[in-house]
Amino acid sequence: MMHQTILSGSPTVSDDRDVHLRLDGLTKTYGNSVAVSALDLSVPKGELVALLGPSGCGKTTTLRMVAGLIQPTGGRIVVGSNDITAMPTYRRDMGLVFQSYALFPHMTVAKNVAFGLEMRSVPKAEIERRVKEALAMVRLEALAERKPRELSGGQQQRVALARALVIRPSILLLDEPLSNLDAKLRDEMRNEIRDIQQSLGITAVFVTHDQVEALSMCDKVVVMRAGKLEQVGTPIDVYEHPATPFVASFVGRTNRLEGRARGDGTVDVGPMSVRVPGRPGGNVEIMVRPHRIRLLDADAAQGASGEGTNLLSGRLTRVTFVGDLLQYQVDVGGTEIVVEAASDHGRGIRSVGSPVALAWRVEDTMVFGRSA
Amino acid sequence: MEADNTSVPMKILVALLFIFLLAPVILVVPLSFSGEQILSFPPESWSLRWYAALADNPKMISAFWTSLLLGAIVTAISLAVAIPAAYVIVRMRTLGSSFLYNLFTAPLLLPTIVLGLAILIVFASIGFLGTFPGLIIGHLVITLPYALRVLATTLGNLNLACEEAASTLGARPITVFRRVTLPMMAPGIVAATALCFLVSFDEVVITLFLTGPRLTTLPVELFHHVESRADPLVASVSVLLILLTLAVVMIVDRSVGLSKTFVK
Repeated sequence: MMHQTILSGSPTVSDDRDVHLRLDGLTKTYGNSVAVSALDLSVPKGELVALLGPSGCGKTTTLRMVAGLIQPTGGRIVVGSNDITAMPTYRRDMGLVFQSYALFPHMTVAKNVAFGLEMRSVPKAEIERRVKEALAMVRLEALAERKPRELSGGQQQRVALARALVIRPSILLLDEPLSNLDAKLRDEMRNEIRDIQQSLGITAVFVTHDQVEALSMCDKVVVMRAGKLEQVGTPIDVYEHPATPFVASFVGRTNRLEGRARGDGTVDVGPMSVRVPGRPGGNVEIMVRPHRIRLLDADAAQGASGEGTNLLSGRLTRVTFVGDLLQYQVDVGGTEIVVEAASDHGRGIRSVGSPVALAWRVEDTMVFGRSA
Repeated sequence: MEADNTSVPMKILVALLFIFLLAPVILVVPLSFSGEQILSFPPESWSLRWYAALADNPKMISAFWTSLLLGAIVTAISLAVAIPAAYVIVRMRTLGSSFLYNLFTAPLLLPTIVLGLAILIVFASIGFLGTFPGLIIGHLVITLPYALRVLATTLGNLNLACEEAASTLGARPITVFRRVTLPMMAPGIVAATALCFLVSFDEVVITLFLTGPRLTTLPVELFHHVESRADPLVASVSVLLILLTLAVVMIVDRSVGLSKTFVK
């Protein structure tokens, strides 16, 4: 495989021998509306990459183009060194797991899993063995002779996963596979999919609108918005160093303030002054994650002040107990700022209306340029 | 059984409606066991003579076989045409899809008498009147729209993702259709079969224009019989027809379930 890639002489491909799936300017338009706009993306072999974004951002369209279910209007899809843009779906050798499971209702679980192998004319004895293996992998051996409708949602999704993996696809595609499951099952399946993907070392693309899934499962997160890439990076990159305000607010919760930077490392936000990293100028947006802000009693605030800390005073307007978290809403000179703190048996809940101070490290302040 | 929370007046209303709908059917059964020469209710004597008379009536018997064969052939052709047609209209959406669908189901909206007249005029000029192929084509005009409508609805309600999953697993389009689409359409196909057969078997209006002295169907033969005589033979034929219809409906119910087939 690698030799071929080198010998093929295509400079763009041989640059990056470990790239398994590459999208080159992939575009899909419907009439005048653009679903996916000149998308460039490289997925290294064996990585699990999340396409993350709100509904309508083009992530599912992108996945379906990779699977061959939608024909792109422009650009190329390359797997290894093969351009598969025009290849029909049934020859692409990709396993696709659907949000709706899409099991064949008229076939038993075993028959569902065997389908892809039958299409490949695998000998009967081997089909039987591999179906057993695949069902064992998702811990469903006992249900092989059931019909899909007799299974729970989580079991159905595991069958779908087994069905997609039993053909040993070159790439595994997952289209919001956890969205129809309840919260507890979702956590389990998340780990299960990740474990299986890693043990098989299979390249996988995972479409989701859920940032927790993207951050917790994937090697790389691709944040999409309106058919374009916003940022590509590791989960930590995307969370800690968002490239755009959109990424900052879509991945994780955040407080957003608008202000004018003076160019000396401070930003005027209304009557307040906030210190930020670097020396930006002009109109800016400032973002701070709620859990990075410490809530202090107003009189204890003086001690917390220092060169590397932002300190604002305000008034507590609401306290929400969310089990593991306490959410405080603080009015700071007319702007509302949310603070999150781990809740400890509900201790330390301050009363609404009391004056408080907010403190966070300057380095935890994210600054983005803002037009006009 | 679901929890019974229907109010009493509602139950009475439903019972009355059932009686209204079923009264003619219920009436026919005792009439068929009449021992009288003419139709009258209630009969003054009872016998099986009209079933015996039916068995001795070669015209009725041959009309019955004609109807049965006609129904079977018309149903088979309807499905053979409507399944691919529904697939093209629903799955391969093109500009003309909804136009084609409306065109093919238009005969449902026309009065059958108008259709019958039109078919009569065309067939008279090409010598199709009173022939078996003529009857088949005439019946297809009304069974095809039913078949197409039922099958297109069934196909439209299928989860497209199943077919897509099959193609990602390596199935060519024709294999996807054969192994996934067609089996998933089974309830619709059973419904369309039952509907086509019953419509063809029952059809009178168009058939009246197309049958001749040598070739006639059971409903038309019955119609002519009643025109000339008023004996209880029609009642015994009717009972057999009711039983046949019931048999078809029960087969449907046993195989895929009535509500699943006709309601959804």
